[in-house]
Amino acid sequence: MSKELTISPFEVVGSPLCVASDDGQKVFERIQAALDAGHPVTVSFKNVTSLTSAFLNAAIGQLYGRFSEKDIKAKLKVAHLAQEDLALLKRVVDTAKAYFKDPDRFRQAERAVLGGSDA
Amino acid sequence: MKYPLTDIRHNPTGFETLIGLYAKYASSKFTKIEVDMGHTTWFDADMCAPFGAILYCLGAQGNRISLTQIRPDVERILTKNGFLTHYGRAALRDTYGTTIPYQRFDVKDDRYFAAYVENKFVRRMEMPKMSAALTKRFRESVFEIFSNAVLHSQTTLGIFSCGQFFPKRNTLDFSVADLGIGIRRNVKEHTGLVLSPDEAIDWATQGRNTTKRGPIPGGLGLKLLSDFVSKNGGRIQIVSDAGYWTLEKGKVDHFPLSAEFPGTVVTVEINTADKQSYSLSSELTESDIF
Repeated sequence: MSKELTISPFEVVGSPLCVASDDGQKVFERIQAALDAGHPVTVSFKNVTSLTSAFLNAAIGQLYGRFSEKDIKAKLKVAHLAQEDLALLKRVVDTAKAYFKDPDRFRQAERAVLGGSDA
Repeated sequence: MKYPLTDIRHNPTGFETLIGLYAKYASSKFTKIEVDMGHTTWFDADMCAPFGAILYCLGAQGNRISLTQIRPDVERILTKNGFLTHYGRAALRDTYGTTIPYQRFDVKDDRYFAAYVENKFVRRMEMPKMSAALTKRFRESVFEIFSNAVLHSQTTLGIFSCGQFFPKRNTLDFSVADLGIGIRRNVKEHTGLVLSPDEAIDWATQGRNTTKRGPIPGGLGLKLLSDFVSKNGGRIQIVSDAGYWTLEKGKVDHFPLSAEFPGTVVTVEINTADKQSYSLSSELTESDIF
């Protein structure tokens, strides 16, 4: 069994403010490399004071375009998140699953706005 | 060339006045532009973000901007928040700490922006006494606005922000303006949808709609803001291109403006008297996420 790795966004970003998409990208690259190497990963948000959807979309949401939902569920954990941040991450994850699962949804959204048919 | 500026409040009339200024000089180059503020008896300080963005845009075309006849009350507030220091005035100390200073950022300045919000708002004793949960949500909301501008606007001229606490109204308003392509063009370029400017804003704030493409998903920033202000009893206001959109007390209203703003302005107004804890009705655990 591969060794479990802990990745700290605070350490990667160098700040308690995990708000920028570019910083989320750096965390994504660390998680991706660890998962590619077969290591289970825990992302520890200890000492992080602020999170945004932009950061989490890049750091976590983007994993669903690279790994299967089953693999992510089996190998990725998060720790030290406050309740409201767990809720934010849950929304990001649900949105990411839908984003990568349903490529036609944009057309559906467009049809809904236009109130018309597929034609 | 002289433009008479009337009262500027964060409402449609205030925006019409500012976009009128932009419309008048949008094609001017290397012109002296005098903004006559002799009839401006009130200026909501958070509106410095769109005002400053417009003046910066006109300045980038080689125009020389001067603000004249400023009334003492208005001059005091625009000096305290640092706005007039961009136009040659000396800075004035903000004794009561009700302003979040006017600043311009580049798109790569996420961390400067984060430090600005932290230092100019969160750590200031004079700011409204809000619960820790409300403070956190406010802070994250303004980061969401900034992130939206960075991710979507394609601005090359920067991002402008400013905030103001209104103690008598129990409101805190914070505005972020960018000089980017606007929501209508963004939606058209990424989805092919041809919508009016206000319909495009409405589209971008709904459900799972997003203009994001590529490996990083998106489409949550404006929804999170909308959810937050709805619960808080606050307001979100978006002006983009020639569209005006607002969400207040759970009700959305949107309509066209008479001319274009050269980008997008998002203003979040929070109710500082809100004592909600923002806890969730159903508790999540770390094993529920993936």
